[in-house]
Amino acid sequence: MTESWPNDVQRGTRGTRRKGFVSAISACSALIVVTVVVASGQQQALTPVADTAAVERGQKLLVDQCGFCHGANARGGSGGPDLTRSVIVQTDEDGKQLGEFLAAGRPDKGMPKFDLPRAQASDLAAFLHQAIYQNSNRRLYKILDIVVGDPSKGQAYFNGQGRCNSCHSPAGDLKGVGAKYEPATLQGRLLLPRGRTGNPGVPLYADPTALQVTVTPPSGEAVSGGLVRLTDFEVTLYEAGSGRMRSWLRNGDTPKVTVTDPLQAHVDHLTRWTDAEMHNMTAYLASLK
Amino acid sequence: MATIGAQIPADSWPTYHGDYSGRRYSTLKQINTANVKALTLAWVYRINTSRAGAIVGGEGPDTPPPGTPPQIKSTPLMVNGTLYFSVPDHVYAVDARTGRDVWHYAWKTRGGDHIGNRGVGILDNWLYFLTPDNYFVSLDVKTGKERWHHEIASMKREYFSTNAPMIIGRQVIIGVGGDALDIPGYLESRDPEAGNLVWRWNSTPQPGDAGATTWPDEDSMAHGGGMPWLPGTYDPELNLYYFGTGNPQPVLAGSSRPGDNLYTCTIVAINPNTGKMAWHYQVTPHDTHDWDAAQTPILIDGEFNGRPRKLIAQASRNGHYFLLDRATGEHLLTSKHIDSLNWTKGINAKGQPAHDPAKDASVPGTLVSPDTTGATNWPPPSFSPDTGLLYFGTRQTFSVMYLTDTDGRPQGWAAAERNVGNVGNALKAIDYKTGKVKWSRPFAMGPGGTQGGAVGLLSTAGGLLFGNDGGGNFVAYDAATGKPLWHAGLGTNTSNGPETFLLDGRQYIVVGAGDSLYAFALQQ
Repeated sequence: MTESWPNDVQRGTRGTRRKGFVSAISACSALIVVTVVVASGQQQALTPVADTAAVERGQKLLVDQCGFCHGANARGGSGGPDLTRSVIVQTDEDGKQLGEFLAAGRPDKGMPKFDLPRAQASDLAAFLHQAIYQNSNRRLYKILDIVVGDPSKGQAYFNGQGRCNSCHSPAGDLKGVGAKYEPATLQGRLLLPRGRTGNPGVPLYADPTALQVTVTPPSGEAVSGGLVRLTDFEVTLYEAGSGRMRSWLRNGDTPKVTVTDPLQAHVDHLTRWTDAEMHNMTAYLASLK
Repeated sequence: MATIGAQIPADSWPTYHGDYSGRRYSTLKQINTANVKALTLAWVYRINTSRAGAIVGGEGPDTPPPGTPPQIKSTPLMVNGTLYFSVPDHVYAVDARTGRDVWHYAWKTRGGDHIGNRGVGILDNWLYFLTPDNYFVSLDVKTGKERWHHEIASMKREYFSTNAPMIIGRQVIIGVGGDALDIPGYLESRDPEAGNLVWRWNSTPQPGDAGATTWPDEDSMAHGGGMPWLPGTYDPELNLYYFGTGNPQPVLAGSSRPGDNLYTCTIVAINPNTGKMAWHYQVTPHDTHDWDAAQTPILIDGEFNGRPRKLIAQASRNGHYFLLDRATGEHLLTSKHIDSLNWTKGINAKGQPAHDPAKDASVPGTLVSPDTTGATNWPPPSFSPDTGLLYFGTRQTFSVMYLTDTDGRPQGWAAAERNVGNVGNALKAIDYKTGKVKWSRPFAMGPGGTQGGAVGLLSTAGGLLFGNDGGGNFVAYDAATGKPLWHAGLGTNTSNGPETFLLDGRQYIVVGAGDSLYAFALQQ
């Protein structure tokens, strides 16, 4: 169970200031900059084991003395259960409970006694606690080699069915793209390249890949810019030229509001990709070094 | 205290849902479609998480751990003119007339996941709540003074507790959460006087039990998850308590647990006196995407196929709507409530979405919709018997799920997720009888596209539906059409289920948004 991580249920739109009073209908005449606040989301009870030397000694102990039955990674082996899922191990403190358990063994289940010195029980526990911590903390998980697709099929898709070449070219905007991003980022950005990387501090609405909006008041000129926020009650945009943020209250169809997404083709394509096409395209783009 | 039943009392809000039905429908109509434009702010209460001035309890250190400011996710109980609500480690009693402090209880935490707290339960003079570090705590309702606390699960195994205790007769029903490690889920009843265990219902079977054949071995079911982390609903006539269970473990890798993995991702009916299961219906067999079935199972007394039935409905995180007979668990209807979902082989003979192994997390990445947060989530939906519509927020996200743990015995989440986009989130109203969308209203948009998602909702006999628009506005919609009639620009999205009650003849609407509780009433 997690209610949400790392997604947007946990995010809120938060005003830069708190309104002390809220009246009906027209409460939002003041400009409120919406920023996405990513809440802390999942928090771990467990923490990494600080003594890395103890972890290493413990790993050697495990492989030498426990590995045959419990596996070299402690996840179970020939007959022995997974130690990283063991309640005794998970609730152990610095090898104390583990050492006591080992001293007695579990003869009825074929687990012999191990009379480990206190320091060695502590080392063994350090390794197991670190393994448990790593299992539990998905922020630490490493994405493996994902470039497994066929680059030539990716190229064919690029120029054919995918119609990617109607906007992009390997010699132009995509030149060297395979060297620019690590593969998972590349794969994510071929699906939807929203926002620029390496440009911290620039809000998304000031980025050319943001949704764009044109607002036409009943009397007055149309104003266009990056979409900050559009609700049933207000529309706010960012004018790149002046660096100004502007807002209008909405009343039904007034003012006229038109939203376009420069990445609409990517958004529409989200529902069409097969996983194989995605992998092939990743391989093709990764080859553009 | 008012009687708790199938209808929310006019003058109080005595349970998480207001009543036992989970409909979050109030018969109050002082505020209605004709006059809602005159709704105005009565008061704001901003929570203070400082321990100074609070009644302090708990087992943790004197210095609180660093963390982000908590959001109010609990629905306050309103009893005798006082609101009682919680955020992780804190319980507040606030005067419902004035929005001023009555008391504040602060818990010294030992740690654990502080993602949220759904609220408190009250029985007579005693209040009950759970802490992130898994303590079941009882306070004196009048003073906030602690009576006792009991540890109910081990934080070292990454259990954490967010549930609001559900009180049925003399049973105080609580559940645990956590899925960072492969641990078993359970629901408990505790005795209201001493807090001792009365019964425990385990989410996964023991060897030899009926559901055991849906797991490969004893080890996998003993580490199989299924956390019942949200309050459920109750039918006093049938004496059945209904709740949804969490996802199986390991979360995104199913290779070590072939089978349906009962009773994870399941709507379960139990006898609240004994904890014995009456029936179950699994909404996601062999889940591999973190789509628990914890979302409120709503009790509807209504017609289906021409005859009156006792029904139970769920808009589920996996993108499907389910309608069952709540006396027997008989499946009546399944429909899709979002269009983008791409992970099933269709609907099987039992009405369940059929697992498609091709859409499991893979090393090079699998494009899945919705993402792990799901098509909807915990924020309370609403059902209005006046319109016959079930209201809930939906998301059409996509993410790439990468298998990272290729061991034959994967652990924990076993995979990483990257969000890649969204084809449109919307507030939806569906006909409970058909599952068809009656109206749908897109949420607000920001520079990255659609916002919003699952949203706490309240419907009333005044023809109104209260919720947020994903863009920081608290909105009253016409429940029949979805037309927005009133809004307040809070600047932050509401973060709990809105509620309503009559106090001194005046109807209040109370909602939490971030760290503040807002009360609205008609201008006088």
